[in-house]
Amino acid sequence: MGNQEQMLRDIGIVDFVLVELMEYLDTHPFDRNAMEYFNHYARIKNQMSKEFAQRYFPLTVNLAECNKEWSWGAAPLPWEGECS
Amino acid sequence: MQDYLFNEQCDNFSLAMAYVPWQRFDKMYDDLEKAYKIGTVFPELNKPFTGRRCV
Amino acid sequence: MWNYEKRLQFPVNIKEPNAKLAQAIISQYGGPDGEMGASMRYLSQRYSMPYREVAGLLTDIGTEELAHLEMVATIVHQLTRNLSMEEIEKSGFANYYVDHTIGVWPQAAGGIPFNACEFQVKGDIITDLVEDMAAEQKARSTYDNILRLVDDPDVCEPIKFLRQREIVHFQRFGEALRITQDKLNSKNFYAFNPGFDRCEDCNN
Repeated sequence: MGNQEQMLRDIGIVDFVLVELMEYLDTHPFDRNAMEYFNHYARIKNQMSKEFAQRYFPLTVNLAECNKEWSWGAAPLPWEGECS
Repeated sequence: MQDYLFNEQCDNFSLAMAYVPWQRFDKMYDDLEKAYKIGTVFPELNKPFTGRRCV
Repeated sequence: MWNYEKRLQFPVNIKEPNAKLAQAIISQYGGPDGEMGASMRYLSQRYSMPYREVAGLLTDIGTEELAHLEMVATIVHQLTRNLSMEEIEKSGFANYYVDHTIGVWPQAAGGIPFNACEFQVKGDIITDLVEDMAAEQKARSTYDNILRLVDDPDVCEPIKFLRQREIVHFQRFGEALRITQDKLNSKNFYAFNPGFDRCEDCNN
């Protein structure tokens, strides 16, 4: 797996943990343990998303910093996959 | 003789209602790549499908 | 409101086209127990919820279902994008192809187009949450049925992920129902609709 693909997968994994914890916390709003895990992974995801945008392309439009080309538009489409 | 399996905890709840037990978060999977492939970070919620028709 | 993250929630990389499988899997796109129905159901039900925690959960799960919708469409797209005319004709895909070529259009495997009759918004919190629990089970069963049809590991991986998500969502909706029960009188949960009735007992 290439570096870009691996980093994208790692972001996917961290984001997935956040989604799981978010839905858990929606029904367990006072679970401190879960909140600590959430805060921890949220920081990691923010960091990784910024790094990914600098190295490859922005995953969210607010991370698009454009000089010569509109980087948000140039980003690959998620449904194309690696095998096209 | 009872014709159903009476459960001390559930069967003292109010009738005519559905109840799902509370999940109590203890640990996530240590291996998050494995959790991702499974589709949950909570081992107690992992319920894989293993059925086959075999005809 | 919604932001978009330009990646799939779980990767889909399918090497082998398979029109027959695509025709079955499309049910999880626009079918009665599919992800479009799930997201529209939860995102529509949330407005009439009397309790913030439940409306919040419906928003979050409804949003995740949109990501699942995208994954299912991607699976169908990747299974059909490289089909030859011969494969289209031999696999029984011609009926869909004639109206949609290899576009992805929300319908059930049997051909019924996606429509709002496939979900309900009753405006009663207990009813809506029990509908949501049923919806998650129907989706899980549909994924079980799909898994029996699939040999290709490239297809199995995202389908198994989607199926497991349904089980987790069932647990969450069940917990939302427990929260609702705590707020009502267990002697009679059905005495009034907390999202609509202003007084509990109009005989006083």
